[in-house]
Amino acid sequence: MKRYDLLTPEGTKDFLFEESMLYRSIKNKLDSIFRKCGYSEVVTPALEFFDVFNLNSNYFPQEDMYKLTDSKGRLMVLRPDSTMPIARMTATRLKDATLPLRLYYNQKVYRSEPALKGKSDEISQMGIELIGSSMRMADLEVCVSAVNSLEAWGMEYTLEIGHIGIFKELVGKLDVDDDTKEEIRKLIEKKNFPALNDILDTLDSSGNSSTIQSIKKLPSLFGGEEVFEKALKAIPDEKVRFILDDIHSIYNDISSICGEKGKIIVDLGLVNKTDYYTGIILKGYLQGHGDKVLAGGRYDKLISEFGYDVPAVGFAVYVNAVANAITKNENTDSYKPSVDTIVYSSPGNEIKGLQEAERLRREGETVENALFETLEEVREYAKEKKISKIVVIDDDDDNYDDGMEDNADE
Amino acid sequence: MNKPLRIALTKGRLEKDTVGLFEKIGFDCTSLREKGRKLILPIPDANAEAVLAKANDVITYVEHGVCDIGVVGKDTITEMGGKFYELVDLGFGKCKFALAVKKGSDFYSGFGVKTVATKYPNIARTYFESKGMDIEIVKIEGSVELAPLLELADGIVDIVETGTTLKENGLEVAEDIMPISARVIVNRVSLKMRQKEIENLINLIEENL
Repeated sequence: MKRYDLLTPEGTKDFLFEESMLYRSIKNKLDSIFRKCGYSEVVTPALEFFDVFNLNSNYFPQEDMYKLTDSKGRLMVLRPDSTMPIARMTATRLKDATLPLRLYYNQKVYRSEPALKGKSDEISQMGIELIGSSMRMADLEVCVSAVNSLEAWGMEYTLEIGHIGIFKELVGKLDVDDDTKEEIRKLIEKKNFPALNDILDTLDSSGNSSTIQSIKKLPSLFGGEEVFEKALKAIPDEKVRFILDDIHSIYNDISSICGEKGKIIVDLGLVNKTDYYTGIILKGYLQGHGDKVLAGGRYDKLISEFGYDVPAVGFAVYVNAVANAITKNENTDSYKPSVDTIVYSSPGNEIKGLQEAERLRREGETVENALFETLEEVREYAKEKKISKIVVIDDDDDNYDDGMEDNADE
Repeated sequence: MNKPLRIALTKGRLEKDTVGLFEKIGFDCTSLREKGRKLILPIPDANAEAVLAKANDVITYVEHGVCDIGVVGKDTITEMGGKFYELVDLGFGKCKFALAVKKGSDFYSGFGVKTVATKYPNIARTYFESKGMDIEIVKIEGSVELAPLLELADGIVDIVETGTTLKENGLEVAEDIMPISARVIVNRVSLKMRQKEIENLINLIEENL
């Protein structure tokens, strides 16, 4: 039998040293951004019952989830998402809590990605959920937090906004079955104009249904502010006009606060599959990374699927993706762990040595205790690990620094 | 000047057709015509560079964003799937997916589970799934036409262009599955970050089809 005791499963990996430090530093920054806005951390279990993700509206295809059974034979999944467990938690334990709730999380999600595509199955996410307000101010607050979460890395970023309501309103007017609607959604998502036009033409032989003409234009309505004007012309619909005015004003507000490295764009053809979204949709990109680093939006109906009818809006930052973009854009040497001093205690002076190390740590140094018999070995080790200072504790009272300065600039 | 747009081209016939199209637009494709063994080739007046790759790799490169744009057949797109925008049907590289069987035989006769040989297991599976039919799929790498002749399979799902190979081997098309042609695909982030450049290029392509 083949043994797999030396490997990690496909789509997962070990994080060592500077990589791990980089993740920690990203998380610390986000942590501070979220907490300063009044968000409190929650942690949900990595294991959830399958049923949590198998609601009436199937947001996650079952083949994308890691499944296992508990001791009673019930089906469990490794959470593929954090928003749904938080919705479950809000509908149960936080049902009587004062609204609005501001929650944030820092945990991993698990998705079974196709093999050999270079994608991770274990994804670190940090995100916020603002629960209990459908005000425009709530949307705006979350957008600003999204901008802050993108701006924090000092590189060029783009925040993209859309609104699922436009697609839902238009497709709701079509007299077609759900499978066809899903097919149309897929084609809009892929911006597959030829196929979208084909399928819509079969629904509208006369060619003068304004709904059909509007849907055809949907995937091309993306870019800067000019999109709103184009959209108003392309989609003659009262409800859509209302939505457009709404996100246009959000667009202007957000544009006014983001710095010179930031750009706000709009895409009215953002209609992703696992979307429990009902309103504004957000996506964030960083320069040099080929995929989104942030995703979110408003989901006013999700928590009610767990029995508590309350609106909510939020987003998640893909920590892996941010780390990837940072690694591509800057030198990550500064994340390498470094030790300032190593303390060598000669035999019989161990406690003295440990105390001296503690004293140096209180002064702010990073200090290792030497675990070698001879000073010669310590010197060799220090050279190897680029530790610039060796402190020797022996029977004399005057501790001295061993001359290792020549290591300092190696 | 921005860094050049990177365009992944499927090696072989699609590459030639695409170079033809680029020349019609007016791009200088000398480097592509006289490429030698180089794999990244500049197209100076388009501020672009072409990468030559196998069809599956074109999708992989575009999906990961290391190439912004790709030219690849609908056959590969359907078989591999993936997350990218599929913007233009180039109209060349035309052929179709079809189910072929030995001449005169009826694929659907009898109650036994049928065996299908193919290079495109996902397309075959999806097609028969949509018919609610259980089938056994055998993946073949080389000449799929052999499988029914050797009686390994009841039929094959494969790309059919003229049907000559089928005919010469005593096979015939039983059903068309879907038409195929070359497509322009674009990385999702590239389209947003470099919208103007990509839209310009797409417009030029569409005007010259």
